[in-house]
Amino acid sequence: MAMTNTELAQNGSINQMIEDVGLLRRIWRGRLWYGTEWYITVFGGLILVTVTIVTLLAPILSPYDPNDFAGSQFIPPGGGPQVLLTRSGESNRVTESYLNEQLVGVQRNKNGTNIAIELELDYLRYQTQSEQIEALQNQEVDSILVDERDLDAIIADFPQLEIAADGIGPSFTLGTDNLGRDILSRLIWGARTVLGVAILSALLSSVVGISLGLISGFVSGPFDRVASLTMDSIYSFPGLLLAIAMAAMLGPGLLNVAIAISVIYIPTFFRVVRGQVLSIKEELHVEAARSLGAKPFSILFRYIFPLVIPSVVVVFSLNVADAILTEAGLSFIGLGLPPDVPDWGYDLSKGHSFLVAGHWWMITFPGVLITIVAMGFSLLGEGLSEILNPRLVKS
Amino acid sequence: MSPGLRRYIIVRTLLTIPMVLILVSLVFIVLRVMPGDPALAIMREGASEEQLAAFRAALGMDRPLHIQYFDFISGVLRFDFGESMVRPIPVTQEIKTFFPATVELAIFSMMVTTGVGIFSGAYAAKNRKRGSDYAIRVLSIILYSLPIFWLGLMLQMTIGAGLGWLPVSGRLSPGMTPDRVITGLYTIDAILTLNLDLLVDALKHLILPSITLGLVLAGFFTRLTRATMLDVLEQDFITAGRARGLHERVLVYKHGLRNAFIPIVTLLGLQFALLLAGAILTETTFSWPGMGRLVVDRIYDRDFTTVQGTILFFALLVAGVSLIVDILYGFLDPRIRY
Repeated sequence: MAMTNTELAQNGSINQMIEDVGLLRRIWRGRLWYGTEWYITVFGGLILVTVTIVTLLAPILSPYDPNDFAGSQFIPPGGGPQVLLTRSGESNRVTESYLNEQLVGVQRNKNGTNIAIELELDYLRYQTQSEQIEALQNQEVDSILVDERDLDAIIADFPQLEIAADGIGPSFTLGTDNLGRDILSRLIWGARTVLGVAILSALLSSVVGISLGLISGFVSGPFDRVASLTMDSIYSFPGLLLAIAMAAMLGPGLLNVAIAISVIYIPTFFRVVRGQVLSIKEELHVEAARSLGAKPFSILFRYIFPLVIPSVVVVFSLNVADAILTEAGLSFIGLGLPPDVPDWGYDLSKGHSFLVAGHWWMITFPGVLITIVAMGFSLLGEGLSEILNPRLVKS
Repeated sequence: MSPGLRRYIIVRTLLTIPMVLILVSLVFIVLRVMPGDPALAIMREGASEEQLAAFRAALGMDRPLHIQYFDFISGVLRFDFGESMVRPIPVTQEIKTFFPATVELAIFSMMVTTGVGIFSGAYAAKNRKRGSDYAIRVLSIILYSLPIFWLGLMLQMTIGAGLGWLPVSGRLSPGMTPDRVITGLYTIDAILTLNLDLLVDALKHLILPSITLGLVLAGFFTRLTRATMLDVLEQDFITAGRARGLHERVLVYKHGLRNAFIPIVTLLGLQFALLLAGAILTETTFSWPGMGRLVVDRIYDRDFTTVQGTILFFALLVAGVSLIVDILYGFLDPRIRY
């Protein structure tokens, strides 16, 4: 595009022009430069953007309160809605207003019970489905509430029954847990917890790790030796065990868990930053600054620190990925958050108890989400490390 | 032994002392100094002031911190972790009972990890930038993004509870006991006492936990092997071998892998902490009576001394293993000297 000098002056500068292209378009053009790594990074980034949007919109997206006992226990995915069955020929008598004066037969521990209570119906409770149907045929009750999923089997066995109304009550897309809480809502709200704790702990450890690493690499000497040995020792210790000990001592709570996790990742920030500072401080521009009389503090922050940032970004992303897994592990062991905070690891540990009973939906979905989010951060970190440090690219 | 190697071993051994000191101090800080009263954390709310005071007195926590610290260190040096608060036996005795289970799990997991990791890593390096390389890389990223315990749950649900092929918890079936505990590793004990039933039962119980732990670590190990192999395959002796007309497969899997082996094994030794952390979660998932379960269970049983002793034992273990790995590395690679 041809542009006169006056136009350029109006637009400020070339840099301003590039700014005007827009962030999204610049990212999109990046694929031509970076190839495969670009796709890896953007894929990881997209996962994270999606999850972030979901966490921000949690109040709108989640159908129920995550701690609400919304349905009966162990409703499988897609289940929940009830069908009102009557004896043949009586279905037209059942209307909305009439329902209130009717006696409805429900089954113990099934969602029909919840709905009957919710709609303030008069109900009789039966142990099993066959007792329930028998009661209807014996005219003990006027109609019965049964699960929509069981409908086909019932009609096949008892063709004399009629559907009076269907789709009564809520549907649970991913089912309910052992207390009748909606799993989808718990997953959506749990994303907030998981992301919050993981990012908070990575932030805490980055602040400590980066400052220690900067100082240690810059001043060298005995301080550096002691700090390095300490960090190497922490690094060699099984991180989860350290987090377990700290979480047990600090007690449950969001901030406590974040602190417990953050200790594990201080050494990774420290090592990377220290290594970088050691090589950067030998570079020409630092020597030039020093010869011009810059003070050590300003050398460290104006001439060294900015060059460390790219590696820190990569380490941060990879550490968040790991922190998500650690947080889930802590909650799975039962040392994480207070029980009223929706959390994926906690849901998994609850589901563990009902695994043999075959309630697969309780343990499948939270685990899939943990994997996807951890993978998002890993991919982002991997991709960024190749893009930001092109000198390290090997293959 | 060359003087260089001897010097290296001596210096490295001496360096273990500050490392142990730092780790033990770290444990001390976490358990005694940090905010969060251990007495309250262990006894939970509802404990009376007298109960808390009695707890502190029993553990010597009513004394000044520096005295506690020296007491703590001297206990570790004498390998005396105090007495368990659940059963009237020393904590070291508890560790002796639970540790072999973790060792057995770790050994079998490492078999899975090295088997899967070395093969797929070398294969990816050989086919670099081809479809299979990308597939293996993506798979390895997925593998180490998996929560270990969730992979365990899925295996339990499908192969264990679903198909009923393998047991989902414990080390042996109910009613099965080893005739004589020699090493504590049931598979080895079974071979030593020639008990075939015991061996089969122990192996059956080992399959799912070691696949769980092994696969997750294999994700990491594959990347390691691939990166190391790429380095090795760029070296001159590979080009020379190619010029001599050696078959590509021989070149990669024989000459290449052999030279990549030392760095791979060393890096693997450094990831010992990863293995232990993974073992804690695997043990919790499969009710495997090892060290991880010991810590987790005793936290709930409010057995402070055992928790403290187990964590200290882990600290000593980590220091010991890294010493051994570094010394081995010194033997294998003459360039590594202080």
